[in-house]
Order: sequence, then structure tokens, then C-alpha cells
Amino acid sequence: MARKILLVDDEDDIREVAQLSLEMTAGWDVAVARSGPEALAMAAAERPDAILMDVMMPGMDGPTAVRRLREDPATADIPVVLLTAKTQAADRRRFDELGVAGVLGKPFDPMELAAQVAGALGWDA
Amino acid sequence: MTDPAPGGSSAASRLAGAVAGVWARFREPVLARVDRLEQAALALLERRLDDDARRAAEREAHKLAGSVGTFGFGEGSRLAREAEQLLAGPGALGQAEALRLADLAVALRRELSAEPAGAAAASPEAASPPSPESPAVSGDPVAPPAEDGPGPVLLIADADREVTERLAMEAAGRGMRPVVAHTAADARAALAAARPDAALLDLSLGGEEDGLALLRALAEADPPVPAVVLTRRDAFLDRVEVARLGGRGFLRKPVPPARALDAVQPLLRTADQPPTVLAVDDDAAVLQAVRAVLGARGMRVRLLNDPRRFWEALEAVVPDVLLLDVQMPHVDGVELCRVVRNDPRWRTLPIVFLTAQVDSASVQRVFDAGADDFVAKPVLGPELAARIANRLERVQLQRRLAEADPLTGLANRRGSETALERLLALAARQGEPLAVAVLDLDGFKQVNDRCGHAGGDEVLVRVARLLQKRFRAEDVVARWGGEEFVVGMFGMEKVEGVQRLAESLEALREETFREPDGGPFHVTFSGGVAEFPADGRDLHALYRAADRAMYQAKEAGRDRVLPAGWNPERGEGPASVDVLVVEDDAALARLLQHALETRGYSVRWVDHGEEAVRLLGGALPELRARAVLLDVDLPGMDGHAVLRHLAQAGLTERTRVIMLTVRSHEAEVVRALETGAFDHVQKPFSVPVLLQRVRRALR
Repeated sequence: MARKILLVDDEDDIREVAQLSLEMTAGWDVAVARSGPEALAMAAAERPDAILMDVMMPGMDGPTAVRRLREDPATADIPVVLLTAKTQAADRRRFDELGVAGVLGKPFDPMELAAQVAGALGWDA
Repeated sequence: MTDPAPGGSSAASRLAGAVAGVWARFREPVLARVDRLEQAALALLERRLDDDARRAAEREAHKLAGSVGTFGFGEGSRLAREAEQLLAGPGALGQAEALRLADLAVALRRELSAEPAGAAAASPEAASPPSPESPAVSGDPVAPPAEDGPGPVLLIADADREVTERLAMEAAGRGMRPVVAHTAADARAALAAARPDAALLDLSLGGEEDGLALLRALAEADPPVPAVVLTRRDAFLDRVEVARLGGRGFLRKPVPPARALDAVQPLLRTADQPPTVLAVDDDAAVLQAVRAVLGARGMRVRLLNDPRRFWEALEAVVPDVLLLDVQMPHVDGVELCRVVRNDPRWRTLPIVFLTAQVDSASVQRVFDAGADDFVAKPVLGPELAARIANRLERVQLQRRLAEADPLTGLANRRGSETALERLLALAARQGEPLAVAVLDLDGFKQVNDRCGHAGGDEVLVRVARLLQKRFRAEDVVARWGGEEFVVGMFGMEKVEGVQRLAESLEALREETFREPDGGPFHVTFSGGVAEFPADGRDLHALYRAADRAMYQAKEAGRDRVLPAGWNPERGEGPASVDVLVVEDDAALARLLQHALETRGYSVRWVDHGEEAVRLLGGALPELRARAVLLDVDLPGMDGHAVLRHLAQAGLTERTRVIMLTVRSHEAEVVRALETGAFDHVQKPFSVPVLLQRVRRALR
């Protein structure tokens, strides 16, 4: 059965490209959310195998959303990969402390995104 | 790990097409972000960018940095990142930051207006055979080329694994195949086994001795492997030593991977590259057919279906052949051809027309405009391919004949100008210096008198050989006429250029020449060296500066090399500028002034018409301008009135006036052109477009 991944990004263009990329290069089943609160609801309802989440979103940002996911027993075990254009080492360390499976940089190469996500999650093809 | 592309390369090209489709839909909103960044730069110039607006601009830059690279605009992401860091920096921002930000916004707009680099920043040299699934050109203005074939091999040699990893990732993202080495021994093994097309090399790899030895091994490989050198040290001698060993670039660590790869990329554009054809047609079906026919014959085909973006595409693609449709909306192909022909840089570009009308009058019109050939529509594959191949062969032959000096085999003036312009553009893009040297043999007339012209020719040939030997293959060495030679040295500052030229002079002094009666004599030269950007931002200015220094060297006693600006002299007479900007909007005027000055034009700005008329057209003119950018809506005396004054004073003959109009009232434009304006540009304009028109006016 195809892996199911929840993609969370408020930027329409980037979300579309990421979705296309994951669907077309890895064949994953991709659900999308446009904000942190939407992501929390969908994660509980859809039970994805993993979540790929943008860090900088208006309202609830990525790290906050990750903390909420961890607090909810229904979603606490879902691995999360963060996507960020932040390049500072301090930012990266802060994300690592959240206990995420990986942090990927923006901009990403659409050809490589799925492989990078899979790598962070320790998934085989 | 994982196989990211179960469907192989056709899945990759489908994804590339889909990504291009997303870009086509989101291009406008993304450009609106650049607009807001530009607005912030203007606000900053006028010191009215408050903290909230600065944070907002920083967010825009952040979003751009994180997104446009995904669409294949790697350089766009880099520019946006720089803007973000500038805005995020601590403390207040001054004029210098404002100008830098304006520059970044302008550069960003230019990047995003061009064709994205391949599918997701991949393989720049990908030929484009059609794939059955490849999407129609449709809304996407320049269709991305499909990925195909293995990329060039890049050897990355650095002891630091983190560095090699980041560089390898960036290289792979650009469609190259990175080969990594952490020791000098590994690098040698890789050199033998992987036959890299280029190398990125840390000089301190396994001790400096080894680093330089490895560089020599690369230079002596067959074929030689061009290398860009990374180093933590930036001693002057290193640069000269690296240059001597054939290093093509010199980057100081730490350097962002994107910048390092930017420096490598041009090395991969060699003569063996397939020819590039730029095809412009509003009909997507025709473009697809052209791509199918020419792509199958190994040519790179770039497609443009919006002729309004022609200039951007032309500059970005730099095609070997231009294929133009005669009839397109917005733009007349024949008119476009005429304008291309009027630009010296494109004068020799072969232009082939696609036309449905083959009656003799239409054909004549096409040839009158400067076309080289035409192909009748509907396009037939073999005929089109044959005609394009024909054009390419001819132009290559002509180029070889036209660009080489028959006596010495060096590039002649014309041939070297193209190469120097390319180095100059590269230097500007990478923020690297470029040294331009002019050297002239001392007392050459006496040599001719004593030895006859054959003897003089022999001296010229031997000097040419010496220069060729002493400079790197990628330095431009040319004979510009008589006993004058020009050398362009990429990545070299003036002081380094002077040093290297002086070394050549020393070597020349060692050579013994013979008069017909056997008597020995020696030859020397006088040289001057100018540096981009300090002594000039265009080739003409650099040549003049170097030439002036060369004459100073002659006057100071010959047989020496002087840097430009040595004991500078002052000119007399009325001041003169390239461009006078007459514009009452101070922010816009500043932006224009900066954009023009950055590109090497001298600029003066006045904010009202009366002042312009007084400066240029008074009884005793204070100023001479080669071009005037004249706003129509000025307070007091408006642009039309200024233009009339200039025309009555007979100034529109030698000063080319470009009117900046607000509305496209045709009657108004016609009136201005009839009065003597050279051109008009409608506001709001993009800075690159305006610069293109200014370039044209200054020709």
C-alpha cells in the first residue's frame, strides 16, 4: 500500500510543487494542509505515515504545531520532517530539539525532495 | 536508499513539465514579491522604511529565497537570501544598503524573467529530444528543456567532508555528476578513473605542496581539466601561482556552495557544446515541431512563445542561431530582426525566418531586414535541419576567419572583444576582478627599418608566442593591430595583472633577435593595466584606461608596465556624461542613476526641465550628454517643451533623447518622435528593459 504523507505549507506554489514532486517521483499518497491548526486536525483524522511541514507559517508556526502533535496521543508517534529556508545553525539546532526526524532546506529540488524525505525517515523505496 | 523516479526519465520530464506549469501560474505573484522588495529599497533610499516595513520586506525576501530555487532559479534564491540577510542584519540600514537592496531586487527581477535553468536547476546542456508526454508550451513562456543524458563530471577535492557534501549536493542539483576526494591521492585516482570535466579544489589539500602539484596534474591532463581553486588563504602570490598553473578561478573560503558552483559552471561551456537554437514563435505547435526536428539532431533548442520577452531570452540563452516567426502578436518578427542586427553584439548571429508567405516581396522584406535565410511553413523537418546546420557551419567558418589574426594566430580585435565581454560579464556576475592590459612594442618602427617587414613580422610572431605561453588558456590574448597586444586576465586585480605582464616583459628581454646581418638585438614593450570595476565597467573604458597607462609608461621611458590611474591627469573642457536623467521623482531617478552607474555609464541627474535646458543648451553649455532620459510629466517646463528646446538648439542630432511617458497616448509619442526624440519608454518600466534601450541609444 502506498505511503501516506501529510504536507503542510501555507505557500500555494511551493505546496503544489512539493505535492507533485512527492506524488510523481515517489508515488506517495499526499494529503495537504495550509496551516498549523489544519495540520493538527488532518493528522488526527488521516493518520499519515509521516508529516512534511514548513517552519514559517502565519499564526501557528511549524515548531508550535510539532509540539501540539506530540501532546496529542493520537498523533504523538507520527514522524515529522521540517522544511525551512532558515540557514542559521542555531535555528537548525532548535528544530532538532523538537525531536523531528529531519530538517530539509528550502529551496528544494523537486527531483530530489522525495528521496530526501525518505532518507530522513529511514524509509526504503 | 530509494528510487525517487520509478518511471525513469519520462517521469522526471513529466515532473519538470508540471513544475513549469506551476511556475507559469505563480510567476506573477512571485514577481509581486520582488516589486515589494523594490518598493522597500526605494523607501530605504528615502529613509522612510520603518521597522514594520523592514520586517515585512525581510519576510518577502525569505519567502523568495526559500521558493524560487525550487523552480530552477538557483541564482534567484541566492539573491533573495542576500536581501534577506541584509534586511535581517542588526542596526540601521544606510544608503549603501539601500542601493545594494535595489540592485538585488533588479537582479532578482531579471533572473525571474529569464528561463529557469532546466528542469529544477538541472543539466544546463541538456539537449531536448521531444518526449511524447511533454506538455504543450501553453501558458509557460519559455518551455523548460527536458532532462536527458548524463551531466558533466565535477571533481570535488577537499579534506573537509562537510564542505564536499554540500558542494556535491549543489553540483548534483545542477545536473552535474560530482566525484568527491578527501585526499590528494584520492583526487589523483579520481582524475584517472572518472575523467572529470572540471574540478573544484582546495589548495591546502594534503599540504600546500600537494595542492599545487594536483593543480598542475589537472592542467597537464589530456584534455586539461579546468579547475576553480578554494582556499582559506588569499595571499597575492597564491593567485599568481594558481594562475600560472592554469587555475581558472580563485575563491576564498568559506564560500557558499552556490557561488562555488557558479564559478565552475562557465568552465563547462566548452566548444564541444551542442549549438543552441532560440526559436521564437507564438504558435506552440510550431515550436514543438521545431524542437522535435532540431533536438533529434543533437541541437539544444530553447523555445519562446511570447515575443515580448525576446530580449530577456536572447540575453539569457545566447543562441548560435535565431529562428524567428514573421508574424506574431505584439511584435513584428521582421522589425525584431532589424533591431537585432543593429546591436553590434548580435550582428553576426545567424537569423532564419519561418514564414508562411513566400512571395518575392515578403521574402525580399525579410532579407532586407538582415535575415540570413528563411524556411517556409509548414515546417518540413529535413529542410529546416539542413538550413540550420548550413547556417551554423558558415558562421563557425566565418568566425574562425574573422576572429583570428592571420600573422600570429592570436585572436584579433574583433574576436577578442567577444571573449573579453564574456569575461567582463562573468566578473560582474561573480564579483571578481578582471585585469585588462594593453601593451605596445617599443621602437617597433626601427625594427622594421633595420630588419625589413619580414623581420618585424618575426618579432610579432615571437612576442605572440611568448604571451600565449605565459598566460593561461582562459586569459584572452589578442593582437589588436600593428604592434599592439591586449590581454584580459579573469580574477586578477590590477596589481596582479601588472606583475604578470611585467614577468612577460622580463622574459621578452631575455629573448635575442637577429638582424639580417646577424647582429643581435632585444625587444621590449610598454604596458598599462586597468582593472574591472575600479577603472571602468565596460571594455571600452577599461581599454582606454589601460591605453592611457601604457602611454604614460612610454613617456616615463618605455620598457615598463604601469597601472591605470598612475599619476592621473585631468581633462579639460565642458563636463560630459553618458546619460542625463531628467526626472522629478527623486527615488526613481536615484534608482535609475544607480542602475546606470553600476553598468559603467556616467550619469547626471536634474529634477526639472529648465535646468536640463540650461545645462545642455545654454549659450555656453556646461554639459554634454550622449543620451537623455526625459520624463514627460515634469513640473514647470514639461518633457515635450524640453525636447523642443533641445531640438531647436540642434542637440537632438548628437544627444539621443529617450522620453519616459506615462500613458501610451500614441499621438503624444508620435509628436515626440517627430520632434526629434530617439525613443520612448512607457512607465512603469522594468529597469532591464530601460537599460537595453539606453544601450541602444548610446550606440
